[in-house]
Amino acid sequence: MHPILGERRRLVIYLLAFLLVGLLLVVGLRGGSTWLASIVFFLPLSVAYGFISLSAWYVCRAFPVHANARPGNIVAVHVVAAAVASLMLVAIGFAWATAVDSLADLEAGRLFTEQRALLFIIGALLFWLAAVFHYLLIAFEASREAETRALELSLLAREAELKALRAQIDPHFIFNSLHSISALTSIDPAAARQMCLLLADFLRETLRLGSNSRISLADEFALAERFLAIEQVRLGSRLQVTRDTDPLATECLVPPLLLQPLVENAVVHGVAQLVDGGTIRMAASRDGSTVTITLENPCDPDRSRSRGVGLGLDLLRKQLTTQFGVYDAVHANEASGQFRVEVRLPAVTA
Amino acid sequence: MSLPSEAEDMDKIRVAVIDDEELARRILRELLAAHSDVEIVAECANGFEAVKASAELTPDLLILDIQMPKLDGFDVLELVGGKTPVIFVTAYDSYAIRAFKIHAVDYLLKPFSAERLAEALGRARERIRSREGPPVRDLLSTARTDRKPIQRVLIRDRADVHVIPVETIDYVESQDDYVAVKSGGHSYLKEQTMADLEALLDPRAFVRIHRRYVLNLARLARIELAVTDSRIAILTDGTELPISRTGYARLRELL
Repeated sequence: MHPILGERRRLVIYLLAFLLVGLLLVVGLRGGSTWLASIVFFLPLSVAYGFISLSAWYVCRAFPVHANARPGNIVAVHVVAAAVASLMLVAIGFAWATAVDSLADLEAGRLFTEQRALLFIIGALLFWLAAVFHYLLIAFEASREAETRALELSLLAREAELKALRAQIDPHFIFNSLHSISALTSIDPAAARQMCLLLADFLRETLRLGSNSRISLADEFALAERFLAIEQVRLGSRLQVTRDTDPLATECLVPPLLLQPLVENAVVHGVAQLVDGGTIRMAASRDGSTVTITLENPCDPDRSRSRGVGLGLDLLRKQLTTQFGVYDAVHANEASGQFRVEVRLPAVTA
Repeated sequence: MSLPSEAEDMDKIRVAVIDDEELARRILRELLAAHSDVEIVAECANGFEAVKASAELTPDLLILDIQMPKLDGFDVLELVGGKTPVIFVTAYDSYAIRAFKIHAVDYLLKPFSAERLAEALGRARERIRSREGPPVRDLLSTARTDRKPIQRVLIRDRADVHVIPVETIDYVESQDDYVAVKSGGHSYLKEQTMADLEALLDPRAFVRIHRRYVLNLARLARIELAVTDSRIAILTDGTELPISRTGYARLRELL
């Protein structure tokens, strides 16, 4: 689409500029003719030439100015184009003058004959001016397009991040946390604020860590502890947490948000299903080339199984296999009211 | 100083608040305090307490969380007989359809506003005043959105609740409007028709061998021929149950 023809506002401004040029011609090239003859001859001619000069865009688009462009070619093309356009101007000028004289004898023909050489030169110069203007417009549109694309890309990236977050975090966790905050605002405002900060920290850390390909196990445990701290506000003394991690293990690198589905399971399907709650035990150890992460939680052996148990584990297994090439890393078993999940990964350090 | 008249006192809505989260109970207590016609008669941290409180205090309204340990909100409702109006409170919107099928007064999503709770209470007042609505018990079995067989049978014995995993049931015996669920030498009486319970059990594991008996197939040791055309099922613990002719046909299909 033509950048000027396509937008009415631009076209009006552009034609006004040519009208201004026409006025200059009326004054500058009047010579010995009457003002009326000069006005009647030059003003319409100038606006008509404005339309002809719009064709500069096609030349500009066919010969764009960029790092690899040959300046010689561009100059040659524009010399030819300007000559053709200006010849058209002169031809239209001749026709117009004849037409004007046949309707009312203003001696426009004489004005044309006197100024045709100058008209040709001015026509060529105006065409080049129009060409420069079109080049500027093209550059402007290109930069705006680039800006829009950059914005779109960053929006897409944000969306992907949020999608990843949604996949990792149960939205009901957020609703429940907000309900706790709602309750705390009147009971204990300081605790409500603390809960807000905990939740914000957790969400921000999840986004930040989730965008990395590998993070340290220490970061993973820190994130899991944040999550559990929030759930402790909700569940009170029903939720206890212990952690026993070997520093040799926690310096290893693991896929981000590895523990999230595990701790979420431990709370939602484990401790929260028990009237008296219980303790979630997290541990990590390293045996040469293998890191072993274990999570243990008490659970209700008679609990209803239709609550999506194991879905998180399946997802984790798939993720570890498809994205990280680790097979058979997740082992889960349940015995006498204790659920235990073990993740074994190759020990990789930074 | 004027004491509230007896009539005013009678008009008070007696509410039981049931939620396993302390904070959730506290915000309800706080928001309900603004309603002078509402009195909290019980605060329960789990379904067992709720069933007990319902039996002993007969509240006019239950404000009931759904996700709770052991007994969820729907279990509680089933056990209290479902005559009490209920407002569900939960962070999950996925139970809404099931809740409305059993004619819940309202369904509040956590977190909710004081206005939203007031609106729900308004509906509850109307419901209590008009005493309308069918008993929920009749609707509970049809309200299961998943057509999966139940995994446990809930039985209320006054204020106590027995949760019986279906695999521990030996057999069920019909007794007029009740069923007796036999499990490990105990017999639990439940106010339910045999047909209703049978419809909820897994048809591959439980079979109606007689007008009065539904048998857990895993408990069947052998079948003996008694007199002509009459058979007896011998269970693993030695119990003998009669098998009717149609019951025997059903058994043969499964075995």
